[in-house]
Amino acid sequence: MIDQITEPLLLSMSFIRALFERTFMQRALITGILVGFLAPLIGSFVVIKRLSMIADTLSHFTLAGLSIGLFLLNIIGLPIGDPLYIGMIFAVSGALLIEALRSYYRNYKEISMPIVISLGTALSALFISLSGGFTSTVYNYLFGSILTVSRQFIYIITITTFIVILLIVSFYKKIVIVSFDESYARLLGINVKVFQFVTTIILGLVIALAIETVGVLLVSSLMIIPVAAAMKIGRSFKNTLIIAILFSEASVILGLWLSYVAGIPSGATIVLFNISILILVVIFKKLFSIQRVRNKQEADVY
Amino acid sequence: MRIKVDNLSFGYDYRTVLKNVTFSLESGDFLVIVGNNGSGKSTLIKCLLGINRVPDDKIFIDDIEIHDYRQWINIGYVPQKFDDFNYEFPITVNEILTVSKLTKIDEDQKLSILDRIGILELQNENINSLSGGQLQRVFIARALMNGPKLLVLDEPTAGVDSENIDNFYRMVNDLNAEGVTIILISHDVKTTKANFSHIMHLENGKAELTHVCEIDFGGDAS
Ligand SMILES: Nc1ncnc2c1ncn2[C@@H]1O[C@H](COP(=O)(O)OP(=O)(O)O)[C@@H](O)[C@H]1O
Ligand SMILES: [Mg+2]
Repeated sequence: MIDQITEPLLLSMSFIRALFERTFMQRALITGILVGFLAPLIGSFVVIKRLSMIADTLSHFTLAGLSIGLFLLNIIGLPIGDPLYIGMIFAVSGALLIEALRSYYRNYKEISMPIVISLGTALSALFISLSGGFTSTVYNYLFGSILTVSRQFIYIITITTFIVILLIVSFYKKIVIVSFDESYARLLGINVKVFQFVTTIILGLVIALAIETVGVLLVSSLMIIPVAAAMKIGRSFKNTLIIAILFSEASVILGLWLSYVAGIPSGATIVLFNISILILVVIFKKLFSIQRVRNKQEADVY
Repeated sequence: MRIKVDNLSFGYDYRTVLKNVTFSLESGDFLVIVGNNGSGKSTLIKCLLGINRVPDDKIFIDDIEIHDYRQWINIGYVPQKFDDFNYEFPITVNEILTVSKLTKIDEDQKLSILDRIGILELQNENINSLSGGQLQRVFIARALMNGPKLLVLDEPTAGVDSENIDNFYRMVNDLNAEGVTIILISHDVKTTKANFSHIMHLENGKAELTHVCEIDFGGDAS
């Protein structure tokens, strides 16, 4: 009994000590906190516009960029730096491609997602096999490698976070109107096209950066699941955003801890904590509403 | 706000809905549009609002060709259906109205609009918890947020209970008295308590505009 209690405690002590002593852990924590903030913030607007599938689509398309980057770097020998840059370019162009397809298939907008996801996956398969198959780098792309982020990456994600905050603060009203009611936004004379273009680029960038944390396969959950949980209990729009970010940060920090102590990929642990929060919210919500109905029935009886 | 429509025809795909519609309104006019379901009432106002794309030189707002018109903020609009709005995600009445007010926020002015429409106590309610009639009033309030010079209302009292319908018409009449031009689509003109100055009958794509003193209420108008 005693062993079972003290062992995780010891491990978490070493987790906290590692946070103080190891640069890679500090980088991981900073990355986690910034991604944990950005993903649900952007994710909320994606959810409002009923575009949840876009995150998954873009992450697969970004993987194509990453594997082309690997191919150029390792096989052709082009000095392109980090494949991440090509991944980011792919994320943004994938997002623009989706927008283009959405307006091309005006009445069947969701067709754009499978088209882009297939293209991304096919290109990924092609270039992963051309550049030496399933290496540990590819494994990290798929499942996340928050413990190995570079100093440059910290710069990029910090700058991105500031840009996103600046944009949201300066255009808050217009962003909210466009998300909730595009046709009313147009009526107010807001240039919806420009907004969509900028949002799309930001979305692509955030997805490319979040891949570093949880990997291609799990990026969408980082953006969508905290929001899915928060929108069931949020009282207002701002309140919902805040709850989503809190859920997300809690999952990131707990996930980082579990990833470190158990040696599991951070993507898996972070997302499993996210899902657990969602399940708890659903259960509490159910219990609470049953309780309310019962109270109401009792009140009706007396 | 002055509106001029000059020989406008409009249709969706190959079907014509409006045929050679011509009329004009002066600032402060109050137009009621009546006609059967599907007669093109909503279509006509969507043309006026730039939602439906019309040919050049057919519509002028304040003497400006509609495609060159930029002051859309001066026009308030309550659509017939709110399908375009993304519900389910939490947002309060107050939050919707605040973001819809692109001109400088005057908190008192906002509150007085809420009071006038009878949704003052709904301010902090989540939009998902409102009834159809309450939602309708929220969207009416939204249309008033930027102090419109033209207010376009597409069957705004559908689903609103009778007491609030009276309040609503009182408010619209007041706004009109204050100089706001009003275009109101109504299913049945006899039930409206609107002090309108013009009435338009839409039938088979043709519009017939009558100044109010010439109307014969007793006839088979529709
Ligand atoms: N977006 C649209 N696409 C195609 N047909 C439409 C569209 N909107 C309306 N219509 C058709 O145009 C006609 C006029 O519709 P509408 O203007 O909504 O009539 P009303 O508002 O008078 O009931 C109807 O036959 C309707 O089916
Ligand atoms: Mg209609």
